[in-house]
Amino acid sequence: MTVTTAPPPPRRFLVPVAGLLAAVGLVVGLSAAGSPDVTRARVEGSLTPAFTRLYVDQQRILGHEVPAASVAARSACDRGGPQVADVGAGADWICLVDFTDQAGAHQQGKFELQVHANACWTAAGPAKLVGGFTITDTRGRDVTNPLSAFDVCFDPDA
Amino acid sequence: MSAGSTTGVREAGGTHRATPAPRRAGTGAAYRWELVKLAALVRTRATLAAVLVLPPLVVLLLRGQRAPADTLFGRHVHDSGFAVPLLLLGFATQYVFPLLTSVVAGDVFASEDQHGTWKTLLTRSVSRTQVFWAKTLAATTFAAAVLVVLAASSTVASVLLVGHQPLTGLSGQSIPAPRAALLVVGAWASTALPLLGFTALAVLLSVRTRNPALGVVGPVVAGLLMNLVGSLGGTGWLRRALLSTPLEAWHGLFTATPFWGPLVQGAVVSLLWTALCLGAAHHSLRRRDITGG
Repeated sequence: MTVTTAPPPPRRFLVPVAGLLAAVGLVVGLSAAGSPDVTRARVEGSLTPAFTRLYVDQQRILGHEVPAASVAARSACDRGGPQVADVGAGADWICLVDFTDQAGAHQQGKFELQVHANACWTAAGPAKLVGGFTITDTRGRDVTNPLSAFDVCFDPDA
Repeated sequence: MSAGSTTGVREAGGTHRATPAPRRAGTGAAYRWELVKLAALVRTRATLAAVLVLPPLVVLLLRGQRAPADTLFGRHVHDSGFAVPLLLLGFATQYVFPLLTSVVAGDVFASEDQHGTWKTLLTRSVSRTQVFWAKTLAATTFAAAVLVVLAASSTVASVLLVGHQPLTGLSGQSIPAPRAALLVVGAWASTALPLLGFTALAVLLSVRTRNPALGVVGPVVAGLLMNLVGSLGGTGWLRRALLSTPLEAWHGLFTATPFWGPLVQGAVVSLLWTALCLGAAHHSLRRRDITGG
């Protein structure tokens, strides 16, 4: 169906086979080249500022003015336990975030990250620490809790 | 439906040529006739109508639903009207973009095979190369029209129905409304080049397979496969060489420190795909032995 004009017999097979081999070679070559987009440094580097902003946001909704600097967040991420290298996409990234809460107390929260190959990830926060899906603002309305789950992207070339 | 349009064009072409100057028709004239043919197709009208009408309906449906959190910006659809067009963009680039262009580009050459109209077409005073560019340009025009209508419909409907609240960006930052509006337009615009790439792929399949069904479905399957490969980790540069990756490059616009790397790489990759596909398609059409039909 695809080839209705008939080229000379040898080329008829040679050209598609050579093309297929070239394509496979290209795919294999490209897959092997380059460094991983998802690394521990990039995940941590995108989580810390995002958490800080969203925490300040959440506290503002709850009626507390918290300066970003006082949150002093730090994050430490790990993928799949000590046996697994901390690179690559996966739903098994765990990040521990240390920060100072609005009352000045030290807190630590465990975030589960689903990291995608497209250099974006989705974090689910610990409900006990960051609250549920919605929170109640100062005027008594239920609004989306910015910290319960959030999406972040990072630069895969940085 | 396209058989009727082809004959219609031939008659119309006759009347056109009867009027003023005996100027040799060029790519421009052929392009205008291809547009007339496209405009007569039910498929093109239906697609344009769908991309105009569906986004407002989706926005209305979303209002009563729990926010769809599995796509970027989905969790913010009730918080900002700028999140909805981005959710729709994310969804569209994953599933429907190749189809939006291949519905025309995959058929534009193969329909001449299907109806056996190549010989008639080539007896006109235009060369094969001119016919090639006229058809390719017409398909590109359609793709551009679909993109513009879909983007405008999604954005306007969302802003009117949800509002123009600040948008939570992809670094947790708040993006004020005017900037968010600009970025939404930029995000949609950034998909124009990869869409051109998919148009070229559909044109290539349309020329090579001479089968409208393969021309239309082929790019869709290719797009889904590329999405699948792109979602796997550890594919190195292969991911960046895929035509589906530039469709996601707009993410970099929405971080606190915007990054342009994927957009630049995506533009280069899209243009390479376009050049390769169109080059192969042109070569194939020029060398083809058109005697039958």
